[in-house]
Amino acid sequence: MARKEVKSEITGSVWKIVKQPGDGVGEEDALMILESMKMEIPVLAEANGTLAELAVKEGDPVTEGQLLAVLDV
Amino acid sequence: MTWKPEAEELELRRRYADQLGGPEAVATHHSKGRLTVRERIAGLCDPASFQEVGKLAGKGTYVDGKLAGVVPAPYVMGLARIDGRPVAIGGEDFTVRGGTSWGSDRRKGGQGGFVEDLAHEYRIPLVNLIDGAGGSVTSAARRGHTVFPGVHGFERSVQLMGEVPVVCAVMGTAAGGPAGRAILAHWSVMVKDTSQVFAAGPPVVERSLGQKLTKEELGGAHVAVDMAGTIDNAARDEADCFAMIRRYLSYMPGNVWELPPVAATDDPPDRREEALLDIVPRERRQPYNMRKLIALVVDRDSTFEIQPTFGRAIITLLARMNGKVVGVIANNPMVNGGAMDVKAARKQTHFLQLCDTFHIPIIFLVDVPGFMVGLQAEQAATLREGMKSVYAALQATVPMLTVVIRKCYGMAGMGTTDKNGLDFKIAWPSAEWGSLPVEGGVAAAYRREIESAPDPQKRLRELEAELRAYASPLLTAEAFAVEDVIDPRETRAYLCRFIDAMQGRLATTVGVKLRAGVPP
Repeated sequence: MARKEVKSEITGSVWKIVKQPGDGVGEEDALMILESMKMEIPVLAEANGTLAELAVKEGDPVTEGQLLAVLDV
Repeated sequence: MTWKPEAEELELRRRYADQLGGPEAVATHHSKGRLTVRERIAGLCDPASFQEVGKLAGKGTYVDGKLAGVVPAPYVMGLARIDGRPVAIGGEDFTVRGGTSWGSDRRKGGQGGFVEDLAHEYRIPLVNLIDGAGGSVTSAARRGHTVFPGVHGFERSVQLMGEVPVVCAVMGTAAGGPAGRAILAHWSVMVKDTSQVFAAGPPVVERSLGQKLTKEELGGAHVAVDMAGTIDNAARDEADCFAMIRRYLSYMPGNVWELPPVAATDDPPDRREEALLDIVPRERRQPYNMRKLIALVVDRDSTFEIQPTFGRAIITLLARMNGKVVGVIANNPMVNGGAMDVKAARKQTHFLQLCDTFHIPIIFLVDVPGFMVGLQAEQAATLREGMKSVYAALQATVPMLTVVIRKCYGMAGMGTTDKNGLDFKIAWPSAEWGSLPVEGGVAAAYRREIESAPDPQKRLRELEAELRAYASPLLTAEAFAVEDVIDPRETRAYLCRFIDAMQGRLATTVGVKLRAGVPP
């Protein structure tokens, strides 16, 4: 089991949290949806695993490179 | 009498050259996960195609007038073939004095030199395998004076950028001159973990700024490729790097007086992809995968993405349509909603000029809401870099085809059209355009009316709905202000017909592209 950090690739804000800590996730599942430039940009899991931690909540502003979540994979 | 003794001495001298810096230096080099320059040339070029030039250059030692050994010049170069086509190729030999310059009468290569003259005179592509750290302060002690910066030959490196494809591959740690040389390329690549590139390495940085950084932190692929775009692509290892160079050159003509090679394809030009009909979500706020869209349109497995990890709001790739090379510039709605930021603008400018120089027609797949907005974007000079890319598009003379997938707004939208040519724009039914998107513009244009309404929010939404009613691309098509609206499934067939038809025209405008004026 390894921990994998999920970082934001864009600047924007957290529009909706889709998965909660403890939830199982499959590769390409949306963990959360960010809002940037009036678009809803899904943040996808890169591998199968479990969502260990959320580092942001709905409404939070995020910048490129910011930690969003941690997966156990 | 025969010349056999001399022939044998030649053989002996060539064997010395083959030994490079000697078994120990080669073993040390291998232990860092790096191949020697001779192994690199063999790995990259067609088998047995390398005709070396200048193999005897070096420093001989003599005992009683008899040759006892030669330390070869730290640069290996010559003529070779890649996929059957000739290239001029050279690279520093790091196992001899770290690949630094060595004071011959004529430079072999590196920055100018014979190999670059060969590319220029024979109009063949140049491949630079860079593995040298540049100047050293020890040269002052050797010469008795300091050397004025720059070498004769760099002007040739610049000249080549308008004449033949130039590929630079950073194979080791490059600083100073070799690092600078790496940038003077139409396409550059480096190897993850085993190559780094910077203006100056960690010791200089620590002395100048007090920053303690490793070579990898300062100039590894993550910085140079992903963050800075200094180098275009990153390869997994040296073998992957050679495969990428071969692939890149397969799209390029031998020089600007030729057209890119046409490849055989069994992918029907009229292939109709059902998946294109619902790839763009009806909900305007939802993005989609532009790379998947591109793959469905171009010849199967024909893409080669340039700068895949830098300026990700734009996708730039070389591909084929019915066997003919095209450059695809597509906005990526997953990043900034496709808005053009500084990095995306820089990437688009370079790619446009690359395609224009080598007569590669451009297909724009447009989904751009405009330039990136906000304080960070303004501070980064988005407007200036964005206009530079618009300038490059309006200056280019290679044919461009514009397909509006979704949004096409503002200056960034204008920069996707062929204003010097046919100005041919087609659109999907999902397309929308204007000087700015409705939701951004209504509040500004109707401010007084909205503020004085009993329910301003309601009035805002009503006005938006009213204006959106005019947004159908079919209304613009009625006015012939967009040349066509097409079923997304017809995209490939439609574009292939025009790419095929323009081949004759492309042949009439080969040669050096002169670009007058001062880009903003």
